Amino acid sequence: MLVIRRRAGESLWIGDSVEVEIIEAGPGKVKLGIRAPREIPVVRSEIRATREQNQRAAGGVEAGVLKRILAGVRRD
Amino acid sequence: MAEFESKYFGKISYGPEAVIEFPAGLPGFEQERRFLLIQQPVNRPLAFLQSLNRPELCFVTIPVRVAAPDYSIRLSAEEARLLGIEEGTEAGAGGELLCLGIVAVEEDGSATVNLRAPLVIHWARRLGVQAIPEECGYSHRHPLEAPQEAGCL
Repeated sequence: MLVIRRRAGESLWIGDSVEVEIIEAGPGKVKLGIRAPREIPVVRSEIRATREQNQRAAGGVEAGVLKRILAGVRRD
Repeated sequence: MAEFESKYFGKISYGPEAVIEFPAGLPGFEQERRFLLIQQPVNRPLAFLQSLNRPELCFVTIPVRVAAPDYSIRLSAEEARLLGIEEGTEAGAGGELLCLGIVAVEEDGSATVNLRAPLVIHWARRLGVQAIPEECGYSHRHPLEAPQEAGCL
C-alpha cells in the first residue's frame, strides 16, 4: 500500500481524472473531498461490504442451516 | 388481497397494508423497493424479507438483539429522513423500530448475521431502510453459530 502524508488543504491525484483533497484533519477523523468523473463510483467501504454481504445473503440459506441457527438461538 | 408467487413460500396473499417499502432499496438491490416480512411461529425468531418483485429474492433475518443482547445504533440524518423520524434516533432497543440483521452463509458453510448494516423498519409506517452507521462496533459477519463441538452434530 502506498502511504502519503498530506496536510489539510493539500490534495493528491489518482490517474488523470481523480483528485482527493484533504479538507480537514482532526483528531481521529479526516474529511476528504473527491473530484471524480461520474462513471467512477465513489463509495464508503462499509457500503461496499454491505452490498457484497447482501449479495451473499441473497444466495439463500439452506434448510439445514436454518435448523442449526434456530437450535442455537432457542437454546440461549 | 393481492397475490404473489414466491419461490420458497409458494403463493402468498397479502393486503396492501402488509407491504414494507424501502425507498432507497438495499445496497446491491437498489431497485427492490417493496417487500413482505414473513414471520412464521415455526421459524421464530427468524423472519423472512420477501421481495415483491423477484420471487427468488428472500432474505433471512434475525432480530439484532437475539444475536447481540445490548445492540444499539444511531441512525444518520438521511436514514431517519427515509423513515420519517428524528435524526439520531437509536435503533435496536425495540419501540416503534424493528431492527433486523440479514443472515448469510459464508464460504465455510457457517451462518453469520450482518450487524454492521441492520434493516431498520418503522412498523407503523411500513417503511424500511438498511442503516449503515459511520461508526459502529459491530461486524458485517457476526457469527451466528457457536463453534461446533465434537459430537454435537
